[in-house]
Amino acid sequence: MKYPVSQHGRFSVISLTGEVDLSCSPQAREQILKCLKQGKNLLIDLSQVAYIDSSGVASLVEGFQTARKQKLDFALVGVSKAAMQVLSLARLDTVFTIYDSLDDCE
Amino acid sequence: MKNIFTQLGKKTVDVIEELGYVFMLFYEAVGWLLLGKFRHQSVRLRHVFHETVQIGVQAVPIAIILCFSVGMMLAIQGLETLERYGAQSQVVTGIALSVTREFSALIIGILVAGRSGSSITARIGTMTESQEIDALQVIGIQPVRYLAAPLLVAMIIVMPSLTIIGDLMGMLGGAIYTSYELNMTVATYMERSFAVIDVYDVMQGLMKSIVFAIIIVLVSISNGFQVSGGAEGVGKATTRSVVLSVSFIVIADMIFTFFLTRI
Amino acid sequence: MITEASTENVIEVENLVTHYGDTQILNGINFSVKRGEIMVIMGGSGSGKSTLLRYLLGLNTPTSGCIKLLGKDITQMSTNEMHDMRKNMGVAFQGGALFGSMTVGENIQLPLCEHTRLDENTMRIMSRMKLEVVNLAGFEDLMPSQLSGGMIKRAALARAIIMDPKLLFFDEPSAGLDPVVAAELDELILRLRDAMNMTIVVVTHELDSAFKIADRITVLDQGDILMCGTVDEVRNSDNERIHNLLNRKPKTEVVDVDAYLQRLTGHGV
Repeated sequence: MKYPVSQHGRFSVISLTGEVDLSCSPQAREQILKCLKQGKNLLIDLSQVAYIDSSGVASLVEGFQTARKQKLDFALVGVSKAAMQVLSLARLDTVFTIYDSLDDCE
Repeated sequence: MKNIFTQLGKKTVDVIEELGYVFMLFYEAVGWLLLGKFRHQSVRLRHVFHETVQIGVQAVPIAIILCFSVGMMLAIQGLETLERYGAQSQVVTGIALSVTREFSALIIGILVAGRSGSSITARIGTMTESQEIDALQVIGIQPVRYLAAPLLVAMIIVMPSLTIIGDLMGMLGGAIYTSYELNMTVATYMERSFAVIDVYDVMQGLMKSIVFAIIIVLVSISNGFQVSGGAEGVGKATTRSVVLSVSFIVIADMIFTFFLTRI
Repeated sequence: MITEASTENVIEVENLVTHYGDTQILNGINFSVKRGEIMVIMGGSGSGKSTLLRYLLGLNTPTSGCIKLLGKDITQMSTNEMHDMRKNMGVAFQGGALFGSMTVGENIQLPLCEHTRLDENTMRIMSRMKLEVVNLAGFEDLMPSQLSGGMIKRAALARAIIMDPKLLFFDEPSAGLDPVVAAELDELILRLRDAMNMTIVVVTHELDSAFKIADRITVLDQGDILMCGTVDEVRNSDNERIHNLLNRKPKTEVVDVDAYLQRLTGHGV
């Protein structure tokens, strides 16, 4: 599974889709880390995600940490209710920068 | 009278059941070693290495002391006995052959059975009691593959290695006593020893040590897996494991020697 | 999501008969658990509840009957199929059953190491996230022997949920814990179900905990199911044995004189 990367203002946007589980999360992780390596500010679009498991969330966490180290912006967009519950279980909803939609990001 | 036969019958069934269990264990362990890779459950080299250090490397000092003492004891007895026939110089041959063919493997076998056999049973028994074995299974890790197979490999590497060390130490023990008694340098003694023994003698000891290795692993692990009844159960199983291992080793040694010396 | 799925049975047990040696332990048990449901199995000691759990986990093979998990009969499964099924199952054992030779963190990561090929970093973050979930953040480098009873149970729970299983089994979550810690664990079980939509089977003899977390309760007694129903149904049941269990009355049996004498003397009359 290859996740599409698009451009939105000063951000690169990675759109995750479908079920981000043990089998897909390594690709998502790779894509996120690659974009950050290129020095891009990142938005992760989760609006098309049906289900995300802890390996997917772990990839987001690792991306966020890498971004902070490199002083890049990193935010989640369009987090569904189910995904939000997974995030809030480990209190990550208070850690990530989260926007409702792409239009909210300046 | 009927009671005795019933009891005897029950005991026989128990023994056969346990034998069957032990053979299944061996079959499974070997199976995992050969086929584990294809079932995505390969035996980890790291575990084998860890066990090798635990069973083998840490047993080296005590193995040296024991085999050295046995060699020296043989020299004392041998010189004393052979003196009656005026054949003291034959002591070199006697010690060299009996140590390589017999004593080194036997002493190492008993040492490892006492030292590692008991700790393996205690460890696996405790794991059985605390449901750790169940937990392994539930996680999807075959306990035989995870616990038994690495031990089997480690033991088959360790025992012959220790036996070779034992061979050398036994002869050295003999050499030191004999050189003092017979005015012979240790170097000459060792030289003559090496001249007497050939590959077959050493192989005989090594083959035995591999059989002993398998006996120790199977007996100690099967006793560990079958533990029940809390801490007391673990204690009982540990004792049973050591007694059974040592008994089987001595009996197997006798049978082995019988066949090997007649071929 | 919950409404759409809640009619689907993810655990189905039909006519389960089991023996220990020659003694029959479970006498033909039928019960089912729906997706996203918390089912509590209750009963006194010797009621067969722990036995039932062992069979649900596929640790023993039953004499007869079938056990379907996620629609597949585990009694008919090959080793490989069972191996795949285990990825969907998480189990927290009564005593924790953490491996004493590994740190807490290694314990929690073990299922990942065995079943996945994730990056090491990902695995470490996942295990730390689960430790956050169970409120054990920062304990990953300790050995299990350094933890208290409540911490061990929570660490065991973290290991059980590391793969985000669809089915979670929990054996005696509150046994041996002080009431506050026990209540925290109950809270945690509820949160897990809500966030992950897990189906959870809890075996316990603690009434308070059972009433607090259960959607439905199955009461076992001497190898039979006495009743299976919602918390209110169980509370209002007029079955005498259930009453005794709820009110912690010792059980009184009608004494059969002949049988009793025979038990005592070892001879028939």
